[in-house]
Amino acid sequence: MSDENRREEQGDGLSRRAFLQRGGIYGAGVLVALNLPRPKAAAAAAQSTEPVVLSRVEWANLEAATARIIPTDHQPGAREANCVNFIDKALANEDSVAVPLYKGGLAALVGVAQARHGQGFSALDAAQQDAILADLEKGAAAEWAIAEQLPSPLFFETLRAHTIVGFLADPAYGGNADFAGWRVAGYPGPRHRRGGYTPDQVEGKAPIVPIWEQ
Amino acid sequence: MAEEYDVCVIGTGAGGGVMIDQLTAAGFRVVALERGGRVGPIDFDDDELRNVIRDEVFSPHQLETYRFDASSPSQTGRFSHLAHCVGGTITHWAAWSWRFKPDDFEVLSKEGPVAGANLADWPIGYDELEPFYTQAERDFGVAGDNTKNPFGAPQETPLPNPPHPVRVSARKFSQGAKKLGYHPFAVPKAINSQPYGGRPRCMYGGACRSYGCPIHAKATTLSVSLPRAERTGKLDLRIDAMVFELPVDDAGRVTGARYLDAAGSAHEVRARHTIVSAGSIGTPQLLLMSKSGAFPDGLANGSGQVGRNLTFHHHPSVIGVFDEDLRGYTGFESHAAFDDLHASDPKRGFIRGGVIGELNTFTHQPIAYAAVLANDHTFGSSWGAGLKDRIRAFPRTLTLTVIAEEMPMEENGVDLDPDVKDRFGLPVPRVTKRHHDNDLAMFAWYEDKLVEVAEAAGAESIALGRNPDVHITKTQAQKGNAHNHGTARMGTDPSKSVLDKWCRSHEVPNLWVVDGSFMPTSSGYNPTLTILANAYRVADHFVREAKKGSL
Repeated sequence: MSDENRREEQGDGLSRRAFLQRGGIYGAGVLVALNLPRPKAAAAAAQSTEPVVLSRVEWANLEAATARIIPTDHQPGAREANCVNFIDKALANEDSVAVPLYKGGLAALVGVAQARHGQGFSALDAAQQDAILADLEKGAAAEWAIAEQLPSPLFFETLRAHTIVGFLADPAYGGNADFAGWRVAGYPGPRHRRGGYTPDQVEGKAPIVPIWEQ
Repeated sequence: MAEEYDVCVIGTGAGGGVMIDQLTAAGFRVVALERGGRVGPIDFDDDELRNVIRDEVFSPHQLETYRFDASSPSQTGRFSHLAHCVGGTITHWAAWSWRFKPDDFEVLSKEGPVAGANLADWPIGYDELEPFYTQAERDFGVAGDNTKNPFGAPQETPLPNPPHPVRVSARKFSQGAKKLGYHPFAVPKAINSQPYGGRPRCMYGGACRSYGCPIHAKATTLSVSLPRAERTGKLDLRIDAMVFELPVDDAGRVTGARYLDAAGSAHEVRARHTIVSAGSIGTPQLLLMSKSGAFPDGLANGSGQVGRNLTFHHHPSVIGVFDEDLRGYTGFESHAAFDDLHASDPKRGFIRGGVIGELNTFTHQPIAYAAVLANDHTFGSSWGAGLKDRIRAFPRTLTLTVIAEEMPMEENGVDLDPDVKDRFGLPVPRVTKRHHDNDLAMFAWYEDKLVEVAEAAGAESIALGRNPDVHITKTQAQKGNAHNHGTARMGTDPSKSVLDKWCRSHEVPNLWVVDGSFMPTSSGYNPTLTILANAYRVADHFVREAKKGSL
């Protein structure tokens, strides 16, 4: 595959419409659509929750952004689930192709925050952060300095997709800390290696205990 | 000179796996060439990120290009939901096991020609396939109750296993269907509802479609056909064997196959007969790569029909949100369906139709659920508080879908990409696919019906179904599918079809094709039981003819 094809694939795979269009919603391994490359993050994540690819400043700004994608309310959000750690470990491994996107995107994000409020993104309040992210989603932030190289909607979509995956993927990958995402989703955890469910549980006649309470 | 096998089978999925089983059982020496490696129960966890989002278990080297039509640019990626591994795509199937209806075999006669579509009758009728449906149901242990679907194919032999437990979501779905006067029933599933065939009962772990079964309760060629074949001592199964050419001799017969091993070294096997079962994408790719003096446009392609008439199924889908946990993360993909709206009715503004079912495609997979629904703006913003509320609704959702029949179109199909090569330098399959107007009209009509059922079942709100972002439009086709059919259709006229009624090439007497590419039309049911049954039929014929010395 040529570099051009690879770029096209990556860019396309992370855009929202392409995401929906590529697979349809039933037949086609819908989320093959993300088209992210191969995996070793579980092992890497297990080793450390310290930044590997991101700098401390990048980490703080990315963490703040994920926390607006899935905010904390009466239940944990992306911050408590440590989605930023999931992304950092993915960037160190199977999603390394997205490192330039994050490095460039986070710098540009801080640039927008500085231009509007004279502070880094992580220092802003939630309303200020939301206003910036909403503009990035729409491609409407005039202060976004790298629009030629990286349109802000592409950065936003990548951030959003990665945050969702980090929130709900197995905790072994470094996010979904303390099963925070699965608790919010009411998903009791994978069962292939825990004996599945009984017919009574399938039919709703017996309670189901989540894997973190077993 | 290297050993000449009786038969070379390319591909070990639904069609090829059954041929391997039946022919080794009949005493033939078979060499099987599988492009993928061996995976097995030990590899079959239910980690959504590994299995589905990153799709790294079943076909890590799969590569295709896609374009809307001949004048559109191509995109490179992995669009088809395939498994390149020992056992093929049936390894991660959802095991819906339908018999096609009698009218599915004669669509052209029943409906008449349709502009822009390339409809055709099958060269066989339901009656000819019926005994082999019974055989497939028996070998694969289909569970269900065929007396409960008044609209299904006529069937005298009961299914070998009783129906499964009714998931909460299926009960809800069925209540809605009944309220509207429909007749819901348990989806026939090739999944054990009791120990059967030396395989255990299903453990109802939730992750079924897109996943391998860790206990082989799901019937596949990996769990049923190939172990049997290996016990005969008649099978030489070669993995990581990417076939790139079917050579022909001066008499125009295939001499076997040439393949590349994992290191890219070329090998050749010789066989008296070659049976291709590389799937409706891989089979035309291989035939088109096999060019020779006698077959300048690709092997067995004198009709020009190799790679044409590709059909998928399209799947109008609706998600209803309810006020209770529907336990979609238990069981398997689909526990209930109804068939009342399947029969063709031109008064709707389109012909043909499909079966309607409930399914857990999203509700056992929180990432897929959240990522797809995050794109649905029915609930407002795709991030922030709106997204979080959507994630919280996960266990309360019910997905309804249709297995909707598509019109075959000659210009939809598979050829060789002129630019993009795989890791060996072979041209990757290029899929060209768009929808017929009939498909689009069908899509919209069924979507409305699904909303009605969800609301009758008590849904508090509806997602997907009312979101224009996810509607298929005239300028946008569904890219890739798990159901691929039609690219080497069978027929009686050698100028309009690739295979005869026995799935044998019209032109090359010792070449056979037994994957879904043989299907002239796709029906409105999941295709795999029909691929299995057809392979049993072809194998039966092959063995008979061989015994008579006619091959």
